[in-house]
Amino acid sequence: MALIKLSNNGVKNVTSLSGLTSSVGDLVFISKQTASSSASISFTSGIDSTYKEYVFYYVSMHPQTDGSHFQVNFRDGGSLYDATKTSSYFRAQQKEDGTDAKVGYDSDFHLAQSTNFQTLVGYLSADNDHACSGYIHLFNPSSTTFVKHYLSVTSNTNINDYNKVTRSAGYCNTTTAIDGVQFKMSSGNIDSGDILLYGVN
Amino acid sequence: MPRYKLVNGEQIQLTAEEEAARDAEEAAWANGAFDRAMADLRQRRDGLLKATDYLALSDNTLSANMTTYRQNLRDITNGLTTVEDVNAVTWPTKP
Repeated sequence: MALIKLSNNGVKNVTSLSGLTSSVGDLVFISKQTASSSASISFTSGIDSTYKEYVFYYVSMHPQTDGSHFQVNFRDGGSLYDATKTSSYFRAQQKEDGTDAKVGYDSDFHLAQSTNFQTLVGYLSADNDHACSGYIHLFNPSSTTFVKHYLSVTSNTNINDYNKVTRSAGYCNTTTAIDGVQFKMSSGNIDSGDILLYGVN
Repeated sequence: MPRYKLVNGEQIQLTAEEEAARDAEEAAWANGAFDRAMADLRQRRDGLLKATDYLALSDNTLSANMTTYRQNLRDITNGLTTVEDVNAVTWPTKP
């Protein structure tokens, strides 16, 4: 086999590479979407049986509406994001003035066999320099045997100048494949922010 | 003003049905503003009370200042009827 000497110019013009594989456990980038006064952000491609686990990273999500909640829902066939879910939700927090550090369970944001959106973090601040960032794992979305578990961690700047780290975990109680994921704010648009989708090899 | 959703990187205008559904969500959100503000207020109040609960154990006598502070926290929701009332609450100072 002939050896090909690569140069910077040669490499930068490459549009596809065959025969390259990623290692088990690697994150494989699938797609990225950037909000621009978007009512919602939906991923309807790239979520299939290729990977047993998918991760969405949401970075600097900024709400239009002060005090709104950043939320997610799942599509299990059809066009609606209305998978039935059961979940739990808790947080750790600290206020900027150091007066209110604690851990708590938020029953406002858990779900019990509900088709409502899952809140990933509540009471976001819409101040210009405030936003939330985090990630959500979705496990085995194409399984027709098991329910589909999800697990999120989010850090935010709250309306009352708190940092709150929130964790939600639950499952879509269906053995139908999940083929779409949608993010939105409980009120108003997603002013800005990036959401990146990866598959876990 | 029309709303747009982002689907796989493509900006798509909401349909009339989607706009109506979103309008209904926004109306419900607006109607719940006072309840959300009160829930947030109670959550903070409860945290401040818990932080001094240990002083109210049976083997300790609360100081008058601390008794007043804790009573003011319990009473902080009295007379609040609007979001503006909630946002204007003055928190008692811990002695």
